[in-house]
Amino acid sequence: MILLCKKLIFQLLILAVSIGYLITAINLGSPIVEGSIQPSFFPLILGSFAVLFSGVLFYNEFSAVKRSGLTETDSAGEKQFSVPIIIVSIFIYIIAFSTVGYFISSALFVFAIILVFSSKGKYAQKAAISIVIVTLGYIVFEQLFGVRLPALWG
Amino acid sequence: MEFITLVAGSFSTLLNPMVLAYVVAGFLIGTIFSAIPGLTATLALALLLPLTYSLDVTTALMACSSIYMAGMCGGSITATTINIPGAPSSMMTALDGYPLQKQGKGALALGHAAFGSMVGGALGAILLIAIAPFIAKASLLVQTTGKFSLLAFAIIVIVIAQRGKMIKAAMAACIGLMLATIGLDAMEPVTRFTFGLSDLTAGIDLMPVIIGTFAISEILTQANAAKEARQTTEAMSSVKIRRRDFIPPLASIREIGIVCYVKSALIGYSVGTLPGAGGSMGSFLAYVETVRTSSNPESFGKGNPKGIAASETANNAVCGGALVPMLTFGIPGDPITAIMLGVLVINGIQPGPQLMSGQADLIAPMLASLLFSAVVLIPLTLFLLGPYFIKIVAIRKDVLYGAIALLAVVGSYVATYSTFQMIMALVMGVVAYYMRKNDFPVITLLLGFILGPNLEEFLRRALALSNGNPMTFFTNLDSLFFVVLTLVFVYFLAIKKPIKNPVNAVESVAEST
Repeated sequence: MILLCKKLIFQLLILAVSIGYLITAINLGSPIVEGSIQPSFFPLILGSFAVLFSGVLFYNEFSAVKRSGLTETDSAGEKQFSVPIIIVSIFIYIIAFSTVGYFISSALFVFAIILVFSSKGKYAQKAAISIVIVTLGYIVFEQLFGVRLPALWG
Repeated sequence: MEFITLVAGSFSTLLNPMVLAYVVAGFLIGTIFSAIPGLTATLALALLLPLTYSLDVTTALMACSSIYMAGMCGGSITATTINIPGAPSSMMTALDGYPLQKQGKGALALGHAAFGSMVGGALGAILLIAIAPFIAKASLLVQTTGKFSLLAFAIIVIVIAQRGKMIKAAMAACIGLMLATIGLDAMEPVTRFTFGLSDLTAGIDLMPVIIGTFAISEILTQANAAKEARQTTEAMSSVKIRRRDFIPPLASIREIGIVCYVKSALIGYSVGTLPGAGGSMGSFLAYVETVRTSSNPESFGKGNPKGIAASETANNAVCGGALVPMLTFGIPGDPITAIMLGVLVINGIQPGPQLMSGQADLIAPMLASLLFSAVVLIPLTLFLLGPYFIKIVAIRKDVLYGAIALLAVVGSYVATYSTFQMIMALVMGVVAYYMRKNDFPVITLLLGFILGPNLEEFLRRALALSNGNPMTFFTNLDSLFFVVLTLVFVYFLAIKKPIKNPVNAVESVAEST
């Protein structure tokens, strides 16, 4: 994957968000009505600055891409899938957290994170560590600090 | 004088075993997190923030201040022993600490780092206790128009302090401010940027923003750094530290001299009061000043204990300085004070000029804890547990990040018992991860988010009071003061001679010595 191209896409995304914010701010209505400052006033100023800054950043990145000719590459290598795996794991964990309860969802989640951060093998040991971490987490949150965690039994 | 008496009386709070336990636990956690390369005291504070819900605000703030103090000194252990600063604020310590370690004088280096941290932390805390009440009184003179100019000053200074990436910092601040405008308008019953989602009507909670920005994004960042972590672990196995290593020889302290300690502490404290400067800048400037005034400058970078003393004294003095704008004006200067401000906000306490005058009894124990951490916990913890910290650094990263991930995600649930806030933490984590990857400083995002609501409110109130005349910001003396101050900072930091990023400047200092 080409690193500079990724950076350009990121800057483009920020520019798009800034423009979207400014358009939404414009749709909030007039910034000043009969001398009174309205809720759209601050977002309009902010949106204008955001578009300006993101525009400059996009231009700078675009110029850098043109100069380098898309030659700089990402050297993440074998770990390049770690980030998406963690993001998906967290998302699934959040969904499972309230439906199957703290213990099962947390144990599977911690096990998944440990797998991402370690080399292959010793799965039984990692599963045991996950259960210990989740139990300690339960003690800290529910027993020590009185946080009510969701359980499978309600 | 009244406030000093109040702080002195607050030491009795530490006689409560539970409060003392939280302060000591906070200090230990802060030291462990700052000693492990890749982890920071900021991350520790972000992870522990949800737990402050079940504590009373005084205990929570006392624990936070001990984490802060620990975070500034813990990094010196790995900086000295394996040349990898556990925290950015200890990078200058590595310049002289590691050469001493290679000469077989690691004990001397660790002793000076611990002593310097203690002196700097104590002087910074004493200065804070002595000066903050006067600044708080002066801050009461600032009216609505001046408050807007002050907040604008803080955001602008933090942005221009991000040397070499100012536009990115400005954009990050804009994103933070944009996030702060989501939800119900503060002055009129109008919802903004909710796109029909009822969960967004009350706005985005501070907790998922902090956890996402500092904890989840950190996990994602570290996912690509497993190889580096293994190398650190291997380097650790060859290092042995004894308990007595943390006691510096008296003759060596005399040789460094009281002037060096006091000057470094003053530099660190002053730098701390500036928004966005932080511990790394404080230790860098103190180090450079010590080299400049030394009669033997060529010895620095080769194992001069004076360099370690200057660096560690300054970075711990930063703690006291950074709390001045936070407590007096409600402006956090760095990520840790931003999270401490979050503790106040979460507990329904409005930070700002009235805080020190109206709720001094709440703040005094926190300052007592800061001083206690510097004078008692730094030497005691490093002496008793220092040798073990080096083993903690070699902890399995997979287990560590498994636990951190659990704390982060469940922690975001604690705030509102809502899975929506957990999703928000994930979204913020992903946004912050990609921002960090693209060299955007996320601290300005957080500060924009925290200061945004007040910035907008004071802007609108100031304009309403002046019938929409923007000249009000130049005609009111309090506002004009901050406008001029902003221009002075912009001139010296961004136009005249931009200060080098300390990380890059380390090499040039090392080369010059």
